[in-house]
Amino acid sequence: MMSQSVLQGCRRPRIVRGRRAAAVVLALALVATAGATPYVPGNDAEVLAHLPAGATHASIQLRHQAVQRRDVALPLAQFYVSQARATGDLRFLGYAEGVLAPWLQRSPPDPAALVLQATVLQSRHSFDAALNELDRALRARPDDAQAWVTRATVLRVLGRYDEAELSCERLIAGDAAVAQLCTQSLRALSGHLHSAYQAVRQLPQQSLSVAARAWRYSQLGEMAQSLGDERAASHWFVECLQLAPDDLYTRAAYADLLLQQGRAVDTLELLKGFESMEPMLLRMAIAQRQLNDPQLPETRALLANAFAVEEQRNEAVHRREQARFLLDVEAQPSAALAAARQNWQVQREPADLLILLRAAHAAHQNGAAAAAAQFANLHAIEDVRLRPYLEPAP
Amino acid sequence: MKVRQRLALILVLTATAAQAHVASNGFLDVEVRGRDLSGSIELAVRDVELAIGVDANRDGQVTWGELRAAEPQLAAYVAQHLSVGVADSACAVRLGSLQVNPRVDGNYAWLPFTARCPALVRELQIQYTMMAGIDPSHRGLLRLSAGSLVQTFVLGGADAPATLSVERSSPWRAIEQYFRAGTWHIWSGIDHLLFLLSLLLPAVLVRAHGRWEPVENARPALLSIVKVVTAFTLAHSITLSLAALNVVHLPSRLTESVIAASIIVAALNNIFPAVTESRARIAFAFGLLHGFGFASVLADMGLPSGARLLSLVAFNCGIEAGQLALVLAVMPIAYAVRRVSAYRRAVLPWGSAAIASLALVWFIQRAFLAQ
Repeated sequence: MMSQSVLQGCRRPRIVRGRRAAAVVLALALVATAGATPYVPGNDAEVLAHLPAGATHASIQLRHQAVQRRDVALPLAQFYVSQARATGDLRFLGYAEGVLAPWLQRSPPDPAALVLQATVLQSRHSFDAALNELDRALRARPDDAQAWVTRATVLRVLGRYDEAELSCERLIAGDAAVAQLCTQSLRALSGHLHSAYQAVRQLPQQSLSVAARAWRYSQLGEMAQSLGDERAASHWFVECLQLAPDDLYTRAAYADLLLQQGRAVDTLELLKGFESMEPMLLRMAIAQRQLNDPQLPETRALLANAFAVEEQRNEAVHRREQARFLLDVEAQPSAALAAARQNWQVQREPADLLILLRAAHAAHQNGAAAAAAQFANLHAIEDVRLRPYLEPAP
Repeated sequence: MKVRQRLALILVLTATAAQAHVASNGFLDVEVRGRDLSGSIELAVRDVELAIGVDANRDGQVTWGELRAAEPQLAAYVAQHLSVGVADSACAVRLGSLQVNPRVDGNYAWLPFTARCPALVRELQIQYTMMAGIDPSHRGLLRLSAGSLVQTFVLGGADAPATLSVERSSPWRAIEQYFRAGTWHIWSGIDHLLFLLSLLLPAVLVRAHGRWEPVENARPALLSIVKVVTAFTLAHSITLSLAALNVVHLPSRLTESVIAASIIVAALNNIFPAVTESRARIAFAFGLLHGFGFASVLADMGLPSGARLLSLVAFNCGIEAGQLALVLAVMPIAYAVRRVSAYRRAVLPWGSAAIASLALVWFIQRAFLAQ
């Protein structure tokens, strides 16, 4: 139950930039980047960059072909999207967009390209734009399962559960088990946590593909965590990661569980090798802070730089992480609250709710999260982690 | 089965990843001195590879030797994708020799440059198309300095600025923008104007023997207008400030509904007069609520951290200016026609009735239908 984060392309016209949270992060980043000075390497053999697969100049030729050939363009764009997801490398989203652009400019635009574009937009947190592309695709292909499931995901992130459920229902004809997972994951968020947990537990494992199994484990882990059953949650998360070690979402969720249990050393162990990803790095920073780890200043600087660059680009993909960074690493509740409130304007997952409530509580401004608390009550969101912040103080 | 084939992507999607890495950025540092520019341009080594291809032995890594060998191509690429100019004529750019800048997110190819422009640089035109056709999400992060003035801009993308002013104007521009936003808000959100209008329409009249009578001369009308406008201004300034500075917060559904209700009250008061002498009190009481309404607009805009108070004042002044424009546009006419019986018998009651009905619709929408 955490980051739906990727980058946000949403460019709301902001009259003036530079909010409180931004200022803090920017100040940190200045410290972080101050040391960098250009130099002339003394050795020709010095390696300056490692190129990930698909990001070499040789791929340019393929991209040229993709302008004319649909059978090249769509798999290539899909490859870039999955690279972005597996590695957390945002540049791949840009490459995907570059490949899709000519296919979106046609009239009518290619429906499969629209769905992929929607995925990119969703990853950039441009949720409304993503929904728009999906609706265009579904007008051309009303049975596109991928479009429906993406639509359900986006609506879920936006907290529009009723509409999301309607999208899940469109999957029944194609794959009833996946439709069940889709629906139950929503019911778990809207007042039916217990029965959803039971329903997903009873889904026969054999009827699912490997990927769907991993998804099921991940959902079970989250539901167990919301129920407060940490042992079960831990079990499901581990099962999921064994099946799908690349599932960054679940890895981060598991890291949160470990942090919650005070297992900072285990957290660092779990996230080793994922340092290039901000949400992972954030959890490492929290663990390092708990351990008084000498690595902490470096981790802080990396995170601060990443947030500052996003800020400078007028983007806020990692606003949730930024809020948590400000609260749990920098101990700046007011700035964290500002970021959490901005984040709440964009996405409304339980994790967004949690950080907003926590920041408001820490900043002694419980009123600031009133709208969010109202949202939680409206949907009867059950989560043991939210409870202390939703109950009125005695 | 179609669904099955796509399942891999479906699930990755639903379990949307925690993403990381910064997106692709170029860094442009420009210092303006009269007609001369100096500074540096930086592209990530990874991006340079994609743009021109430097990994000569194709071993998946770029060495300094490979990058250095591609320096002429890199210079040509930069020349092709970056141009600076003044008043539509280009500045002559000279690139210096290549270095490496180790940033936290990786190594960057760093090129110093100097440029001479055809005229004194007041407004700089920059065309930045790095990574065009490769990565549409690439942006150039520009740091533009002139004397003690340092500004940042984002280049590339649809809403990139075409010309950048290097004069010291940005604090004033912010204030101007807040002022304009204030004016714009009061004119676009006509609920505030209708409230004020309802209170002002009878200002050129006086209640006598249970009827509206025209005022004898301008003095009482003027006095009444000044009282109402001042009371309204005072009230909404107080709450706007309190809300903008995060002292008080009211749910927007409540304030928006009460704002609609305030219009109904003010308008009905013209048809069935209850308060005739001290409409300023209505203006003050409801003005407090309207202030919260203004504040919600400001909350969406945010206040710049360096100039919170100044921007708040600018926004408020913008609102006053908008109000004043209404008064100046409407009240002289109302004063001129105050003796025409149609003003008292038709314009005032029926106009007020129309305003009240419209406000009733808003009230129902805001109080009961809003999400």
